[in-house]
Amino acid sequence: MNTKRTGSWAGTLWILQALSGLLLILLLGTHMIVNHFVVEGGLRTYEDVVSYLSNPIVVVWEILFLIVVTFHAALGVRSILFDLGPKKTARTVINWGITVLGLLAVGYGVWLTFQIIG
Amino acid sequence: MAEKIIQFKVFRYKQGDPEPHYDTFMVTVNERTTVLDALETIRRDQDGTLTFRHSCHHASCGTCGMRVNGREVLACVTNVMELGTSEVTVEPLQNAPLISDLVVDMSGFYETYSQAHMPLIRESEYLTESEVAEGVPFHMRLESCLECGLCLSACPVVGTDPDYIGPATLAAVWRVVQEPRGEDPEALLAWIDSEQGCWRCHAAMECTEVCPSNVDPGGAIMALRGELTRRKIGRLFGKA
Amino acid sequence: MVETTQLNVRRRQRRPGAWLHVRRRHVGSWAFALNRLAGLGLVLYLILHLFVLSLLAKGPATWNDFVALAKSPLILPLDIILLAGILYHGLNGIRVALIGVGIGVRQHKALFWTLMLIAAVLLLLGTWGFITV
Repeated sequence: MNTKRTGSWAGTLWILQALSGLLLILLLGTHMIVNHFVVEGGLRTYEDVVSYLSNPIVVVWEILFLIVVTFHAALGVRSILFDLGPKKTARTVINWGITVLGLLAVGYGVWLTFQIIG
Repeated sequence: MAEKIIQFKVFRYKQGDPEPHYDTFMVTVNERTTVLDALETIRRDQDGTLTFRHSCHHASCGTCGMRVNGREVLACVTNVMELGTSEVTVEPLQNAPLISDLVVDMSGFYETYSQAHMPLIRESEYLTESEVAEGVPFHMRLESCLECGLCLSACPVVGTDPDYIGPATLAAVWRVVQEPRGEDPEALLAWIDSEQGCWRCHAAMECTEVCPSNVDPGGAIMALRGELTRRKIGRLFGKA
Repeated sequence: MVETTQLNVRRRQRRPGAWLHVRRRHVGSWAFALNRLAGLGLVLYLILHLFVLSLLAKGPATWNDFVALAKSPLILPLDIILLAGILYHGLNGIRVALIGVGIGVRQHKALFWTLMLIAAVLLLLGTWGFITV
């Protein structure tokens, strides 16, 4: 069977979007429950947040969640924009644009997390 | 036989018109009248300039594809009374250039579709109990696709991007993958494994809904994706 | 083949809003359109959420004031809409992921309604949780 790569990223990106989406059911599910329903009153006060983030597993989990949700959102927006049939230059701009925005979002989130812990 | 007077609102456009418009025609129909019958009546008795395509009159050729009350159908088998409305809107297919009235330019579609190289004759999955006649290798039939273009008109992706390969062609590619019959499925798979190919579909499945010939293009597109995904995973673990 | 340039064919126009024209369409087209709208809504929420989180860097007083605001009954309907969007997008997403690799394609409508039933149940549970916690 000839299974050479075609050189197109389209399929791989689609699969990653589907997988990240499924992963988010777990990550977003726990994120919502833990930040909305666990503490007395539901939402975490400043002190609750600090105590929550003192657990390194929590930090890893929340940062993983941030990365996966940003990835899924960025690919989603890219998909909507690409559906409009942009030309090659526009496609390159979109690809770079969402990559930069995505990295900024993740970077900001990680920075903020360590601000709070510190 | 019961008769009813139905109001037909028909999309009109002639070369040189700044904009299309709708003309209203009152037509007496009975329980057996089809939309195509009504259009022919309009042309014969009321407006000889009405332009539309038709051929076989029995859903075999795919020529009379158009939108009736907003849905893609073959006019020759669309019963007017069964539509259940006293006003019937008739419009051309979407996502194809307009030539005149209800006639659109299908050449762009044919160009893409012909690249699938799908042979017209296939093995028939029917008549499995009957004996194959001498000299005939197996029971054969024509491929299901009528090339009517209903799926292309209904597809939201074709609507937004003319370069999308589209459900009809993708379904044809899947048929070649299932039954190569001398064609090269690998080259076709490489062609549709792309941003404009099977990955562009958003699973609206409208193509399968409107197809008058059981092609199930949506199912074919997903089957292509399944095949390509299996290969990708295979390559991933092949390397590991 | 038709010589389209000689016929001066009225050129096919790209319709960027085509995916929104769902009125005469079937459930699959509605599912796709809603999925996209929910996704866009969630992206906007994500941006808003990241901005709001910056209040944490401003110290306990600022953050706790915000939390008090977020617990206000006026925010509850917004929370419900958000939860509905998340549940719709996530559960329909399972369907998209499955049929997208050829699993359950023939039963995609039944799959959709089953997942929506689950979404409705979870939405009710979530709303009850918001109110009682």
